[in-house]
Amino acid sequence: MFDSILDTFIELLPEIGKAAGETGLMMLICLTAAVIIGGALGILVFLTSSGQVLGRYRRFNLVANGFINVFRSFPFIILLVAVSPFTRHIVGTSIGPLAASVPLSLAAIFYFARIIEQTLRDVPRGVIEAAEAMGASPMQIVTQVLLVEARSGLILAVTITAVSFLSYSAVAGVVGGGGIGDLAIRYGYYRFQTDVMLITIVLLVVLVQSIQFFGQWLARRVDKR
Amino acid sequence: MTTQQQDIPAIALRGVSKSFRTPDGLQVGVQATDLDVAPGEIHGIIGFSGAGKSTLLRLANLLERPDSGQVIVHGEDLMTMSPQALRAARQRIGMIFQHFNLLHNRTVADNVAFPLRIGGADEARIAERVKTCLEFVGLSEKSDAYPAQLSGGQKQRVAIARALAPEPHVLLADEPTSALDPRTTQSLLEVLADVNRRLGVTILLVSHEMGVIRRLCHRVSVMEAGRIVERLNIDNGRIPPESQLAQWLREFGEGGASPELPETAGSHLEEVPNV
Repeated sequence: MFDSILDTFIELLPEIGKAAGETGLMMLICLTAAVIIGGALGILVFLTSSGQVLGRYRRFNLVANGFINVFRSFPFIILLVAVSPFTRHIVGTSIGPLAASVPLSLAAIFYFARIIEQTLRDVPRGVIEAAEAMGASPMQIVTQVLLVEARSGLILAVTITAVSFLSYSAVAGVVGGGGIGDLAIRYGYYRFQTDVMLITIVLLVVLVQSIQFFGQWLARRVDKR
Repeated sequence: MTTQQQDIPAIALRGVSKSFRTPDGLQVGVQATDLDVAPGEIHGIIGFSGAGKSTLLRLANLLERPDSGQVIVHGEDLMTMSPQALRAARQRIGMIFQHFNLLHNRTVADNVAFPLRIGGADEARIAERVKTCLEFVGLSEKSDAYPAQLSGGQKQRVAIARALAPEPHVLLADEPTSALDPRTTQSLLEVLADVNRRLGVTILLVSHEMGVIRRLCHRVSVMEAGRIVERLNIDNGRIPPESQLAQWLREFGEGGASPELPETAGSHLEEVPNV
């Protein structure tokens, strides 16, 4: 049994390498988008929530909050199909890892924004207030108070987003997104090759464990609280 | 400081009022109150919980913006300032808090450097001020420690060093000893007295502990239900016996650290070594 799995593994190695590369590409794109755009959105929603530094921009807060909720309500597979005209428009095609990165990024942006907003709530109001009393601008409060004080929580937020979207990227495989999930579906599911299914699952488990382990290690390291 | 500047109050609150929206309706925090703090003075604000004393203090650097009235610090009206000008003015108003509010992921030295960094000071000046201020509060050897490694009293000393770093003229102190035990309170009050005496910093301090007010303050404003109901000079820790404050002391004791009723106002003074 093990021998045959090993044979299949070696036989499929080029395919697995390609799939891993595609998954890596999707993850890289969607996590970058999530951290930059979703991070900024999450910070803005936090700052404009009531009682915070920019709490007077209540209307922005309501609209942004609603937006995040609407996007987070879509089942991912529906979002995938719904945005395909948009995907075709900007990538030129609606299949392949680049195309799958568009709905993945969209989902990741709003997912990450919500997690960041909630992570920042752990920074005590008094610490932010002390910075205000010392004459810090809202931008300085973000870069020198919020991002510093919440940094271990932010690392865990990236970790949890990475793990979630590793699994979402497998869903994207269904519509020809490529990647490890696609491999599992094409060989393991459609062709009933249980050994291939097992290999891909083991691969994903190892990936998730490593991401989680590294994220937690780093978060603990930077936490001086 | 010129003689002319001596005549201007360090802090002047003119007809300030502030109410808060709560689930139970509009709650009055402070109602149409005046407060003058002279340069070089240590002015205390005392009162029961919910009397509005912290709110009044927080009006002085616009952490709370009053609904009406004027907030004048060193002759400058904070209310009419642009956000940039207000931030610059806040650099000259130090503040310390009951729960210290240090940045936990930064070292002691970086905490003290914080107000200078956001004010755009150069690194040479930052290094010099951090050293001076940590020496002043007696924590030079803790410069590379993180706040989690310090005791409460040490944390408050770091907070004082941080507040002093940009060389402020006034220091606002919001219940600075209320999270500390009596002995630590004593040594912290010595630091605050030093800040006033040696550096000439005007201090406006809120406390519900009479012992703190007695040992530290030159004058005290007594607050009740959002108003200042009494203004007293404290002469060597003595409270005028006919005052409302002296009567509360007879009724409720010193509060905080000393639950037992004092026989006469001033009886606790003898137990306290001189600052």
